Amino acid sequence: MSTPAAEHAPGRAEADGTAARARALTKAYGSGETTVLALDSVDVDIARGSFTAVMGPSGSGKSTLMHCLAGLDTVSAGQVWLGDTEITGLKDRDLTRLRRDRIGFMFQSFNLIPTLNAVENITLPMDIAGQKPDQKWLDQVIDTLGLRDRLKHRPTQLSGGQQQRVACARALASRPELIFADEPTGNLDSRAGLEVLSFLRQAVDDLGQTVVMVTHDPGAAAHSDLVLFLADGRIVDEMAQPTAEAVLERMRLFSGGQTQAPSPGTPGDPDAPSLTKPTDED
Amino acid sequence: MLKATLRSFLAHKGRLLLSALAVVLSVAFVAGSLIFSDTVTRTFDRLFASTSADVTVNPRKDFESSVPSGAALTLPASLARRVAGVDGVEDAHADTSVENLSVVDDRNKSVSPTSGAPTIATDWYLTDRSPVKLTSGHVPRGDGEALLDADTADSKDVGIGDTLTVHAQPGSFKVRIVGIATFTTTNPGAALLFLDTKTAQTRLLGAPDRATSISVTAASGVSDAELKSRIARQIGTKDFELKTAAEQAESAAKQLGGFLDVIKYVMLGFAGIAVLVGVFLIVNTFSMLIAQRTRELGLLRALGADRRQVRRSVLTEAVLLGLVGSTLGLAAGIGLATGLIQLMSAFGMNLTSADMVVGWATPVSSYAVGLGVTFVAAYLPARRAAVVSPMAALSDAEIAGVGRPLRVRAVVGAIVGALGGAALVGCATADTTSTSASLLGLGVVLTLVATVIAGPLLVRPVIRVLGGAFPALFGPVGLLSQRNALRNPRRTGATAAALMVGLALVGGMSVASASMTKSFDQQIDKTLGADFVVQNDNFVPFPKEVTDKVRATDGVGLVVRQRFVPVAVRFPDGKRLETTAAGYDARLDDVAHVAYARGDTAAALADGHLAMDADYAKDHGARVGSVLPVEFPDGGRTELTVAALTDQDTAEGFGTRGGIYFGIAVAERYVPGGQESALYVNASDGTSVDRLRPALERTLAPYPQLKVRDQADYKELIRNQIAVLLYLVYALLGLAIVIAVLGVVNTLALSVVERTREIGLLRAIGLSRRQLRRMIRLESVVIAVFGAVLGLGLGLVWGVCIQRVLALQGMKALEIPWGTIVLVVVGSAVVGIVAALLPALRASRMNVLAAIAHE
Repeated sequence: MSTPAAEHAPGRAEADGTAARARALTKAYGSGETTVLALDSVDVDIARGSFTAVMGPSGSGKSTLMHCLAGLDTVSAGQVWLGDTEITGLKDRDLTRLRRDRIGFMFQSFNLIPTLNAVENITLPMDIAGQKPDQKWLDQVIDTLGLRDRLKHRPTQLSGGQQQRVACARALASRPELIFADEPTGNLDSRAGLEVLSFLRQAVDDLGQTVVMVTHDPGAAAHSDLVLFLADGRIVDEMAQPTAEAVLERMRLFSGGQTQAPSPGTPGDPDAPSLTKPTDED
Repeated sequence: MLKATLRSFLAHKGRLLLSALAVVLSVAFVAGSLIFSDTVTRTFDRLFASTSADVTVNPRKDFESSVPSGAALTLPASLARRVAGVDGVEDAHADTSVENLSVVDDRNKSVSPTSGAPTIATDWYLTDRSPVKLTSGHVPRGDGEALLDADTADSKDVGIGDTLTVHAQPGSFKVRIVGIATFTTTNPGAALLFLDTKTAQTRLLGAPDRATSISVTAASGVSDAELKSRIARQIGTKDFELKTAAEQAESAAKQLGGFLDVIKYVMLGFAGIAVLVGVFLIVNTFSMLIAQRTRELGLLRALGADRRQVRRSVLTEAVLLGLVGSTLGLAAGIGLATGLIQLMSAFGMNLTSADMVVGWATPVSSYAVGLGVTFVAAYLPARRAAVVSPMAALSDAEIAGVGRPLRVRAVVGAIVGALGGAALVGCATADTTSTSASLLGLGVVLTLVATVIAGPLLVRPVIRVLGGAFPALFGPVGLLSQRNALRNPRRTGATAAALMVGLALVGGMSVASASMTKSFDQQIDKTLGADFVVQNDNFVPFPKEVTDKVRATDGVGLVVRQRFVPVAVRFPDGKRLETTAAGYDARLDDVAHVAYARGDTAAALADGHLAMDADYAKDHGARVGSVLPVEFPDGGRTELTVAALTDQDTAEGFGTRGGIYFGIAVAERYVPGGQESALYVNASDGTSVDRLRPALERTLAPYPQLKVRDQADYKELIRNQIAVLLYLVYALLGLAIVIAVLGVVNTLALSVVERTREIGLLRAIGLSRRQLRRMIRLESVVIAVFGAVLGLGLGLVWGVCIQRVLALQGMKALEIPWGTIVLVVVGSAVVGIVAALLPALRASRMNVLAAIAHE
């Protein structure tokens, strides 16, 4: 878990080792008086072959950041690069192609197309692109995720955890430059959640992938190499080699710090987020 | 609860839009047809009431006949003087009015209305009841002068000073137009030519002392009914028929009514199709809305709403939809009626929208249809909504109803289908027309119902086959679209059912009409031996001079005349048959091939004898040698001996039951002055058919109403007549398809809404907009083609059965129009593409992020 990401970077790693990058990234909603800044001039670098978690309270802009980095949302100002490609200003068609070929996605829920079985879901992005999946790699991903005997099942025949594993396999299958996971454990019980997180970890460590995960669960964030803390549309802090406790501590500081004095001495806070408590935020 | 219902109705108003449109269409046709027929009826009632004489004396008509003999029924003109002598009669006038003529201008172009309305020549006798007044020129004074109505003068470009040729029954004559008469009332579309009284009697009836009716004006203080009975006492009612103004108006309106009824029934047919297809659309909409709201309904149940309340809530929504749809439909119906009235005006019938009548029955029927349709269509979905368990509020079950077993449908569908199939088999094997036809009707209804019920069961197997090549052809997009179509068989089935109904109709009718055409072709080949047939377009007879001129044409060899005569025949079993018999010249065998069971043409056409259909004769106890009493119009009576029995495939063609014919001398003796309906012409020896044709056409140039036809033309004529029927069916189909397209649009649009998150996900992982549009388009095509295949399959079976019924009528050929069928399948794919345009556009415009976050 503590292995430096760069050592496992896939062969096509570039010299600077950055999978995605944003400069002065700003996203505003509304106009005039009512403008809300979801992202306020954010600079961020996602290191290739690393597992990055983005944390922050509701409305901090963490999902917006992910959406902008992934080419799902347009930006108001600033620039975003995926590898060497500047994606700000790209047309919808190019963005779609970029997502299809170079980015993998996992969402909190509703990750799979209900009419397709597991293996069809996994290869869908490549099928859409009209590419043949790399069978060796595909087998490796499927075996790593333990989906071999579930391939012909439809999503409704799979448990929530299995569904997320299929989503994870889909994100990995085309060997994208970057995998974005938006609250991937949000709808799972703790055991299934842990499983998915360890697979994401494995994807980085053993398969050399780059993962960015949005979460507000400190326990989930603890699986990452680096945690970025967002508040009010800015990156306010980061933490390398995080642990759940340290992240929780840091979160308290931010969530409380905005409106009132920090109150570090409340370990039994029932509102504290945790891996075992699914949330529906975002 | 009502508040919740109203909120829900308003929240879903976009999704109910197309359902409302279906209701609007159905109601519009119902309302439109009622308003139109009410308006026309009222207009003509008024017209006839104001133009009918207080008492009218007509010659008594013994029986009605479908094919006119060309002779007008007359009474002596001197009768007017006798009637004038009756106490209480202020004035009695002998009218002359005939319709058995054609009027041609100096360029040999017909002046008759193109709409099929009659050309009426009558004597100019202005009273305060006349529907016209002289607006320019002067009244006709003697032979060779005439007035023309202003509308005809206008549309046919005829003015004062122009010369017209009138082909009347006694002969042709020329008139100069000396004045124009303008309608002061509604013009029913006819062309009117006015002559002075003496000329009219001489030229139109062939005798200066005859008239067609007597118009009587009552002295003040004498009621119509009283006067009628006084005149009846004076002149007797054996030979005359007396009518008061009210009775005359009623019978005149009734005559016109036949034509108007056709329009009314066509419109109601449209309404019926709209209702039938609309029901599917509405059922689907409500099913989908309820499926989408399962959790919401579960929540209502969990909060304490009982089943009845849930059901009532859904039905209230349906009633609201029905109310809105009916109201808009009523408005659209008024628009439709206005359009029809305009159309009638274009045909020369001067109706104005200002006279529009909206009777109480119109809104009542409109709301009854609109509310009835939505209520019935929403009832099943409402029941389904009521059984949503409170647990549904908590469960994550996505769409209710998808997985419910179709066992009940399978059983009911199989039973109804088996019954329908049995009825159709019975129809195909029955040997009497009436049994066969009623079994056909039963079988058609049952198999249609069975297919609608079992439709969802057929979705999987049929679409697997239809869309089987999709994954190979269109890759993952094809796979997704095929799976989406298979996703909810009920929905796919119901959506396709709307299209199926229309196409089944068309399939059946096109097989039937192709078979009829082929049968007629074969019969024409088999029976028509003449080189040419000279005939009016609608079998209306023509003057004798035509026969003389044709005979005198260079290159004409044999001419065989055909003349129709109304007859009433008493059969040995007591049956009195009123029909139209034909009279022929002796050498019939040279122009037609008649198959005889007994006897031959020579015997049949010999004086005092007749030939008739062998089957009809057998059914009513007549044999060769039987002597049958025969009555003719105008009181002629005789006895004719059956001399030959024919064994034709269509002895009862042209509506002449019994297939009776005899020598033309018999016709001339008992109905003198009858006109020929057709001339069968052979070229003389040494004249080629190609040379004869232009010669005949030159001869007939002054008679634009007459056509020269050879076998091929004759086939074309029959084909065109069948085509009219087919056009009507196609128009019905067009409407059915429009609503079916609305149904597919509706289903797709609601599906797109339902699958918002899925679409968002697909877009996120890299499905391009174009691919997404293609996915929806392909799904739509699969549904449409599924409906087409089912409909055409059903239609083919129906068509074959209809052909079996026709075969009993002698139309023995079976022809399946494969070209049309392939065209319809291809067309249905196009329909699918068109239906998918908007939903696909909408889906592709969806914001990816909003779609993913969609609840």
